[in-house]
Amino acid sequence: MRLLERLWGKKPSRKSDKKKGTSNYPYAVTRVRAMKSKLLPKESYPRLLNMGIDEITRFIQESEYKNDVDELAMKYSGGDLAEHALNRNLALTYDKLERITLGELNYLIVAYLKRYDVWNIKTLLRGKIYNASVEDILESLIAAGEFTYTSMSELAAKATYQEIVEALKYSEYYPLLQKFDGTNLAYIENELDKMYYTGLFEAIGNPRSKDRKLFAKVVRLEVDVKNLINLFRLKKAGVDQLDDIMPLMIEGGLELKPEKLAPLPYEEFVNELQRTQYWDAISGVAGPDITSLITLESRLIRYYLESSTILSHVSPISVVPILDYIIHKNNEVTNLRIIFRGKENGLSDELIKDQLVVI
Amino acid sequence: MVDGATAGLFLDAAGMKALGAAIAIAVTGYASAIAEKDIGTAAIGAMAENEGLFGKGLILTVIPETIVIFGLVVALLINA
Repeated sequence: MRLLERLWGKKPSRKSDKKKGTSNYPYAVTRVRAMKSKLLPKESYPRLLNMGIDEITRFIQESEYKNDVDELAMKYSGGDLAEHALNRNLALTYDKLERITLGELNYLIVAYLKRYDVWNIKTLLRGKIYNASVEDILESLIAAGEFTYTSMSELAAKATYQEIVEALKYSEYYPLLQKFDGTNLAYIENELDKMYYTGLFEAIGNPRSKDRKLFAKVVRLEVDVKNLINLFRLKKAGVDQLDDIMPLMIEGGLELKPEKLAPLPYEEFVNELQRTQYWDAISGVAGPDITSLITLESRLIRYYLESSTILSHVSPISVVPILDYIIHKNNEVTNLRIIFRGKENGLSDELIKDQLVVI
Repeated sequence: MVDGATAGLFLDAAGMKALGAAIAIAVTGYASAIAEKDIGTAAIGAMAENEGLFGKGLILTVIPETIVIFGLVVALLINA
């Protein structure tokens, strides 16, 4: 056996982190599918909308979030409790995904979940710039990436953003963070996002197998949806200078070409969109007299979620169903957060309902 | 040139039958093992999340067992 292992393992051409043979696809995919079946059904959202904050916390406590609420109930209460419980659950769920996968599958998921490292760095910097309290920063951190919650709490406890940047000296983000001077936060945040997507596309590489192609497709679809939402926001704000828009666009989209769409006036922009696959999703709400982007954005996200589910059925034993679960889990947490934060701030049910993306 | 005695040694009818039966069992056994490996791990994955799936998982896991049963039948027919 040892001889065989030596023969298999030592060949330089077989990179163990990318090799499909060492992945446990059937186990991980079925387990994740079972996890997906435990997500909140869409019927529960109208019920949640009729509840008060304490009832929602109670509801969450009786669902999959029980352990998290129980664990944190000593420290927090009300909206904070729910927020911390949701974040903790999300982090633990993604951590579990990293634990139950092996080989290529694990490699792709870790690369995908790096978005939470970027998210956390952005939160930390933003918090320090606006002098948020350590508790407020901790509330928004999601320890799903490579940084642990403990290490991030230490970062959050530092006094200034310079100390945070210094503490991240050995991370891959340091060269970029060095450019941060306290005034260019927006630039740094955009660049961090772009860096994340560049890294992810590098991890996917030049996809040859069917499942990697699908994985790349879902990521590209996400890039398109993000770009499209940003384009709509910019158009609505009256920005149509190419030089202003292009730095905000993420490269690597599936179908949209931001450099073509950016300089167009709103009506031509919408006409151009009619030729894309996204038009069906937004045709009803993207008219010239558009007043609010809320519905449009939730429809685009909904389209993205639905497409990822469809693609996950195209290649059932692959990384795509797991990616699909990651996206849906994130969406559930976002929905719950929208509901109780909305309730807390006294928004009308109608407004909260518009923001939800219920599949 | 192969003389009759050597041919008899290698192509002995009973020996060949035994070999055929052995191949039938070995290959089908290996085939069910490969099929059951993936289904078994998948069943364990599903069970880890939802224990109620034990019964279904067990049934699905043993379905490829039919392959080796066919092998067994063939082996018995050869020797009959």
